[in-house]
Amino acid sequence: MMEPLIAGFGAALTFYNVAFIFMGVAIGYLVGALPGLGKGTATAVAIPITFYIEPLAAIAFLIGISKGSTAGSAVSAILMNTPGEPSSAPTAMAGYPLARSGKAQKALKMGLYASVIGDFVSTCALILMAQTLADYALAIGPIELVAILAFSLTFIAALSGKSMIKGLIAGLFGILCSTVGLEIETSTERLIFGMYELYDGLPLIPVAIGMLALSEMMVQIGDRRRLEQETDLLRGSGKPEDAKVTLEDWRKSAVAIIRGTTVGIFIGILPGLGASTGSFLSYGMARRASKDPDAFERDGAIEGVAAAESADNAVVPASFVPLFALGIPGSVIAAILIGAFVIQGVTPGPLMFIEQAELMQGIYASMLAASLILLFIGYFGQNMFARVIKLSPSLVLSTVVFLCCLGSYLQGGGMFGLYIMVIFAVIGFFARKYDFSFVTFLIGFVIGDGFELALRQTIGLLKGTPEAIVDHPVAIVFWVLTIVGVAAVLRRKKNSTEAAPAAAE
Amino acid sequence: MRFLKSLGLAATAAAGLALAALPAQAADWPNGPLTMLIGYKAGGGTDTKGRVLAKLLGKELGVPVKVINKPGGGQATSLLWFKEQKPTGKVFFFGAVTGLTLNPHLKPSLNFRYTDFDYCCRVTEFQPALVAPASAPFDDWAGFIAHAKANPGTKYAALSPYARILMQLIAEKDGLDINYIPTKGGAGMVQLVLGNQVMAAYSGGIHSRYPGKFKTLAVVTTTRQAQFKDVPTLGELGYKGGADAPTVIAFPKGTDKAIIAKMDAAVAKAVQHQDMKDISAKIMMPIYHVGMDKIDAFMLESDTTLGNMIKDSGYEPPK
Repeated sequence: MMEPLIAGFGAALTFYNVAFIFMGVAIGYLVGALPGLGKGTATAVAIPITFYIEPLAAIAFLIGISKGSTAGSAVSAILMNTPGEPSSAPTAMAGYPLARSGKAQKALKMGLYASVIGDFVSTCALILMAQTLADYALAIGPIELVAILAFSLTFIAALSGKSMIKGLIAGLFGILCSTVGLEIETSTERLIFGMYELYDGLPLIPVAIGMLALSEMMVQIGDRRRLEQETDLLRGSGKPEDAKVTLEDWRKSAVAIIRGTTVGIFIGILPGLGASTGSFLSYGMARRASKDPDAFERDGAIEGVAAAESADNAVVPASFVPLFALGIPGSVIAAILIGAFVIQGVTPGPLMFIEQAELMQGIYASMLAASLILLFIGYFGQNMFARVIKLSPSLVLSTVVFLCCLGSYLQGGGMFGLYIMVIFAVIGFFARKYDFSFVTFLIGFVIGDGFELALRQTIGLLKGTPEAIVDHPVAIVFWVLTIVGVAAVLRRKKNSTEAAPAAAE
Repeated sequence: MRFLKSLGLAATAAAGLALAALPAQAADWPNGPLTMLIGYKAGGGTDTKGRVLAKLLGKELGVPVKVINKPGGGQATSLLWFKEQKPTGKVFFFGAVTGLTLNPHLKPSLNFRYTDFDYCCRVTEFQPALVAPASAPFDDWAGFIAHAKANPGTKYAALSPYARILMQLIAEKDGLDINYIPTKGGAGMVQLVLGNQVMAAYSGGIHSRYPGKFKTLAVVTTTRQAQFKDVPTLGELGYKGGADAPTVIAFPKGTDKAIIAKMDAAVAKAVQHQDMKDISAKIMMPIYHVGMDKIDAFMLESDTTLGNMIKDSGYEPPK
């Protein structure tokens, strides 16, 4: 195992390759840091560039981009409350309040460290256990998947604000929005009102940008005096401990990072769940483990940033497990990489290790190198980005709004994406004012599609024989966890509503 | 009088200019960057092929050819947009013929027909087939039919309405009871087959990337495929619904024939390029260039075959 990997390092660490990894991570980080532009866009756009470079450099370049952009999207999430992609939304929830209380630098650094740790550990898991993990991933069919998704959806309840009913309304509205478009089996049109742009459903990025970023900008612009005060705060409190990660922060975040990385690897290996599920799940767990969960969104929480970022970044290498071992893409990035592999004459799948052993070891070595380069670029890049917060708010706000528009335009099929963004910004604005959890909406929207498909497949696979579920112990475990989770939430909510009137007296 | 005369002269001159302008448009073409429209997301098989082709066409024509993706509804989103474009020759469509000759039959509410566009050429072939997992207890078509007859409710993964209808026609003819499991895209199909969740599936061609993992039972094209010479076509086996599924290049209706001819000539040269051959071999989409002279006949044939198939299946389009 080790010897070929060392040989792989020899092949990978030429000046030529390292330059491409470096460039990939840097471009990725920059693109990721722009609101609304995430790893999918960055990688897809870069593919044609790789047609004319050597296979190892090309693939290392793309992997560098995906790693860089995943970590980079934390920057805009923390500084501007505008996640580069939905999987960074929890980072924004816990990180932006920190930035507003003068701890932007601290949050950025913890985000980076958690990203690098999650990414590095997940890469090691990929290298050491790809084959073992892949066998286990294949055993997870639709019947198991629907149970795992139901379990993830119960975290909606844990994430929803003060009122559970409002949380459920927001979550179900999210699921309703995910049903827009052509239905998967017979291509029946659903809720498209004659607009053919909606055939593929509501575009994810404009919805997320509108709901999270633009609505926040609307709230901020509406309150300029508070804004100027906050900008002063964003500039930093002046206290040195607010600009760095202290031992106390590490103590708080260590468990969150370990948990986040494990969740990220688990979710990444399973095809079709995606980074958003991973980061939301990890965030929900950290929140649940906290003594004061409501403080996460109110005052910000360093362990919330650590939980979300470690899971988000751990998903990416783990999603290569089914790709390398079986040839099944486990994520958007992996699907795009299949295209790149194929162009380079490599067929993703188990044969890759036999036919292209040297290349594979080189890719592994490049992935490890990319983790370290990410730490380096992130550390220095943040100083550059952190200067953004020293600018006047009118400059920052107008730039962010412009970038929001750009991201929605690129990802939403032109002007149509902009309309969608504006509509959801208005919905998001009122959701904020009336305390409906827009995050709950978003996770319902993101998971809804996969949940529907897995449910339909499950019904088909168990057709006429519901008792056959006993052959699927994993599914049973997750259904039981779901029921226990819902019961626990209901009990906690009941206790807190009973406690509230008592306190009022 | 002199005034009228000069007016007449001017009018004649203008008419002359206008006449001259038409061929001039084709003679200059292309005098600026061109746009290739792709109806799938960036990164897929058609997109990959399209991007390589775009680069090579750029070299042949001496202008940049940029690619835009408008995914959605099995290329319907892109084609509805394309229908609104002016026939200037600046924008052209590269994609699977099924988006033009199958989808309007499946969904009559779609506001376009294949006749709404002008065609340039066929470029590459898809290699669709009916497949089974390597672990299946049968090795060929006859074995599959026997298995499905003995096991009512045999599971079949359908990644599109077409995949479903194809199997419905077979099930009707042979009296099979099939349990249709929906799935999304080639990757979703591979997952169900490799995970042994289904006993058979429709593959758009992706199965050939997984040697040893699939059994190919029958090919859906009208002729046998080079990589599966021993596997019969659906037509040979006596079933309806098999059809060739090439990628084609189309222009907005009313585009100057001279422009289309120039593009056809450029494609003919581009497909000879080593880069194009390499990509074709790697993504198993063989090049089969059929030029302007035969393309209209092929489009008619494709539309008739697929239209009849949908009619025969008794398929009721969703409202």
